[in-house]
Amino acid sequence: MEENNNIPYIKMQEAAFRYPKGDFVIENTSLTLFQNEFTAVTGPNGSGKTTLGKLIVGIVKPDCGSVKILNRDTREMTLGEIGKKVGYLFQNPERQLFSMNIREEISFPMEIRGIPKEKIKEKVDEMLETFSLTHLEGIPAFKLSRGEKQRLAIASILVNNPGFFVMDEPTTGLDAERKKDLSELISNLQDKGIGMVVISHDLPFIKQHADRTITLSGGKIIDDSR
Amino acid sequence: MIAGENLDPRVKLIIVMCLSTMGVFIHNISVLFGILLISFLAAVIFGARVFTIVKKHKSFIYLFIAISIMQSIFSPSGASILSIKGVSILTMGGLEKGLIMMERMSVVLVSASIMTTTTTRKVIQGLVQWKIPYEVAFMTSIAIRFLPVFMEEMRDCLTAIQLRGIDLKKIPLKKKIQIYSYIFTPIVAGTFIKSQKLSMAMETRAFRAFPNRTSYLVLNMQLQDYMFITLSILLTIAVIIVSSLYC
Repeated sequence: MEENNNIPYIKMQEAAFRYPKGDFVIENTSLTLFQNEFTAVTGPNGSGKTTLGKLIVGIVKPDCGSVKILNRDTREMTLGEIGKKVGYLFQNPERQLFSMNIREEISFPMEIRGIPKEKIKEKVDEMLETFSLTHLEGIPAFKLSRGEKQRLAIASILVNNPGFFVMDEPTTGLDAERKKDLSELISNLQDKGIGMVVISHDLPFIKQHADRTITLSGGKIIDDSR
Repeated sequence: MIAGENLDPRVKLIIVMCLSTMGVFIHNISVLFGILLISFLAAVIFGARVFTIVKKHKSFIYLFIAISIMQSIFSPSGASILSIKGVSILTMGGLEKGLIMMERMSVVLVSASIMTTTTTRKVIQGLVQWKIPYEVAFMTSIAIRFLPVFMEEMRDCLTAIQLRGIDLKKIPLKKKIQIYSYIFTPIVAGTFIKSQKLSMAMETRAFRAFPNRTSYLVLNMQLQDYMFITLSILLTIAVIIVSSLYC
């Protein structure tokens, strides 16, 4: 992992964004996120939480102001470059599972990048073990339960060793047992020093983990408390 | 003047079919250009936001250009424009074929934009009143309705795959093709899941419980509709015949 615990990992300065022909979804927002923090983003439906998450990861670029990841403007970075620094978990993990086979799901981006096979195998074994997926190896990815798909998606993202991780509504559709598993996983990531932003409505889950809670309303930050 | 939006959706469908047919059957570059202009004009008259649609499909335009260049390279004829070490890369004939291909695809895209000026419900009703089985008409409307959802899913998948640290601009073509094949996995799986859920929802709402369906919406063709249909078909036949005889 990259050691940037004392410097801002992601910095938004007066960033604003609106979808074509729409009103501003995010209005002049400034925000600094550190790698040693778990930041929860909450707020009512339509308050701009998901868009804020997408701005942070550079999926959408600000109309004015700037968003910088480790001091580099997201406008100047490709998504491939961003993905090596910040991971993003979509609300629906099915949209980010591309392979029929669990092992291939984790390995194929490394194969495409030309990483040696032995190193790939080592990495994949490590991820399968860490995310309790080893016993599911023979099962096609699309047949996994929602919780298992989510674990696989997280494993596939974290194999890149990003220093920061953004999750959009990770507890949606999970039962109490799976939520507990996710909590344990998040605690492990916190221990490893991975900075996190979790967009969620689930207040008990947020309270359990968050060092900092940001509340959005109408595209503006109305509360930012530690 | 007759406002385009007042016409029966079936008239619009016929006009789109006529323009696309001309686009496919005519091989003369100048005539095709004329048909493209007419398609633009018709789309504007019908109130289609043709420029917005063209802008939205910018990526298709790049694809059209790429296909046209490929066509130009692989079907060489006539004088050579560009050659490397004696091998003709770009020829006059090849370039013309490429341009024809581009015009043809543009005619299809621009004329299809006319259908955006009517609702899918009206199109289904029009097809049903033309004795097309309701199931077929309904499937067509579902396909149209879900197109934006698939486009959004494809965008998300493309974003997600790049966020895995894959730089699409920097990898070779062979690997790029491999990546696009990966993108189709969640789309196809998602389509099956969606269609299963949709069919279940339709069954619970008694879809096809009775052999005949009644409809609150009934379309009535007016004299102007018949005139437009007749005129469009006759003109299309005339243009195709004249173009095949003299061009």
